[in-house]
Amino acid sequence: MGKTVIDAHNISKIYDKDKIPVYAIQDVHLHIEAGEFTAIVGPSGSGKSTLLNIIGGLDSPSYGNVILDGTDITALSENELINFRLNNIGFVFQAFNLVPVLTSKENISFVMLLQKKSKEERNKRAEDLLIEVGLKDKMDSRPGELSGGQQQRVGVARALASRPKIILADEPTANLDSVSAANLLDLMLKLNKEENMTFIFSTHDQRVIDKARRVVTLVDGKITSDVTR
Amino acid sequence: MLITIAWRNIWRNKRRTLITSGSVFFAIILAVIMRSSTDGVYEGMIENVVSFSSGYIQVHQKGYWEERSIENAMKINTNLLSKFEKQEGVSKCTARLESFALASGNGKTKGMAFIGIEPAKEQMLNGLANKISKGRYLMSENDNGIVLGEGLANYFKIKPGDSLVLISQGYHAASAAAIFPVRGILSLGSPQLNDNLAYISLHQAQQFLSADSLCTSVSFYLSNVKKLDPVANSLRSAFSNLPIEVMTWKEMMPEMDQFITADKSGHLIIIGILYLVISFGLYGTVLMMTYERRHEFGILVSIGMKKSKLITLVFFETMFVAFFGALLGMITSFGIILYFVFYPIRFSGKLKEVYVQFGIEPVINMSLSSNIFYYQALIIFLLALAVTIYPSFKIFKLKPVEAMRS
Repeated sequence: MGKTVIDAHNISKIYDKDKIPVYAIQDVHLHIEAGEFTAIVGPSGSGKSTLLNIIGGLDSPSYGNVILDGTDITALSENELINFRLNNIGFVFQAFNLVPVLTSKENISFVMLLQKKSKEERNKRAEDLLIEVGLKDKMDSRPGELSGGQQQRVGVARALASRPKIILADEPTANLDSVSAANLLDLMLKLNKEENMTFIFSTHDQRVIDKARRVVTLVDGKITSDVTR
Repeated sequence: MLITIAWRNIWRNKRRTLITSGSVFFAIILAVIMRSSTDGVYEGMIENVVSFSSGYIQVHQKGYWEERSIENAMKINTNLLSKFEKQEGVSKCTARLESFALASGNGKTKGMAFIGIEPAKEQMLNGLANKISKGRYLMSENDNGIVLGEGLANYFKIKPGDSLVLISQGYHAASAAAIFPVRGILSLGSPQLNDNLAYISLHQAQQFLSADSLCTSVSFYLSNVKKLDPVANSLRSAFSNLPIEVMTWKEMMPEMDQFITADKSGHLIIIGILYLVISFGLYGTVLMMTYERRHEFGILVSIGMKKSKLITLVFFETMFVAFFGALLGMITSFGIILYFVFYPIRFSGKLKEVYVQFGIEPVINMSLSSNIFYYQALIIFLLALAVTIYPSFKIFKLKPVEAMRS
């Protein structure tokens, strides 16, 4: 057994608790070990993104707690949580969400700047990461000058920049064409294998589900199946 | 990198940034020119009236100000004058003997004021000789001539080389009458002074009024006119043992001080309204910049950017938009003001008459005081600070998940 990186206990997220309670997530237990490549699947509104947001510390559960690499993130203050996210979690977003006024290299460096890394280190790692995601010739391009697939690659490189323990990806291939989606998946699998990086992503995409080694299915906020292949 | 991001962010919507900066640009030009002309006109007014009559601070015998008669003149000697000059903040001081006389020349008669001055010192202190428009200035203490304002000269229709007869009452009611050759005609800034004032040497005035070693006042010039009250207070305490009275020009001419204060307040209200309008424009821009980037802010907080840094980023953006316009506005207004410092606007016709009626030189002088620019920069900084308060509050309350959904 690998080291536990995510331990979500009995988490629930309830909206309008005082009026008509709506359970986005209900009594979810999730235990993920280092190096797993996990897909969280389910129909729209099943609570995939909410679960991912809670695991990533972007949202707080109404009940339960989430322990990431030994830290109960539900007990952290807002600033502690921001710091924790910065140093431990990499996010890949569906809509890429790069800073439009920064070049590819600057978008990646920016995360390391927040970590107060030296300029040399920032430049070196940003360049290495862009080479790794196959965008060596796009270092000085701004997001507007890149295709969707290229932007998402920069997004992955940005997520990796802080050397996080976990990468959380919310529907990373949803806005990509099939070729770009396949390339991105190959890249994520490669990083997962070579660097033993833990990937968790919510997805509808059957191609992503097919490549995942563990598939957690959510329906109406509850885990209905958890299959490791 | 925050500065780089902020700078690039403001150019994401070029038109909006240019319009907002443009409004700041025009506001700054308007405000700077308004302040500069107000200060310039009043500085000129004070300079014209104060330099050539009372001085910034005046020392006289106790009781003289209530009853400005030669009977209340004070004894003066070089020792006392040098003690006065040694006071901190005093650049120079000069003794004057003022009185009134009935002047007669070319068959005409008119009441006028005259001041006995130390010609060399006056020239050093207020450049009186530079105001000579015809003829020459008084050569020395022993020069028995008279220089008079051009209004008086026009009245009497006299020119340098002619003579003016003065009849007055001297010290202890001695009769005073003398003929003074006209040496020069002065073009003084203040129309009132031009029409009513003449200068003779102090020595001649003392002889004319049988007031040996007496003067009615000692006028002080300061190394920094802004330190008027502190210098006056230090003079009061240093010479409290003497039967003298120390008065500032504001105390001697309260109407002028009140007029300047009231008029400046009016201008400040106009500038305040101007900045209020500008601040709404700036506020609108900053609010739009903040609201339309809520999603982006949510992302930045998600990837680990602290909200305090995000607030700093928005503050930098606001400063850039504001100071971009402000800097250009200051440079442009500096150029405009510099031009008018060398080529002041001179009024003519009816407007000139109105100014003259109020005793103000019909010229718009501009002030190049650095304070005017510092204040505008400070106001813009405070405005930028104020307009980021609400956006900062919104950022502080921002929830990344909700922001990313927007």
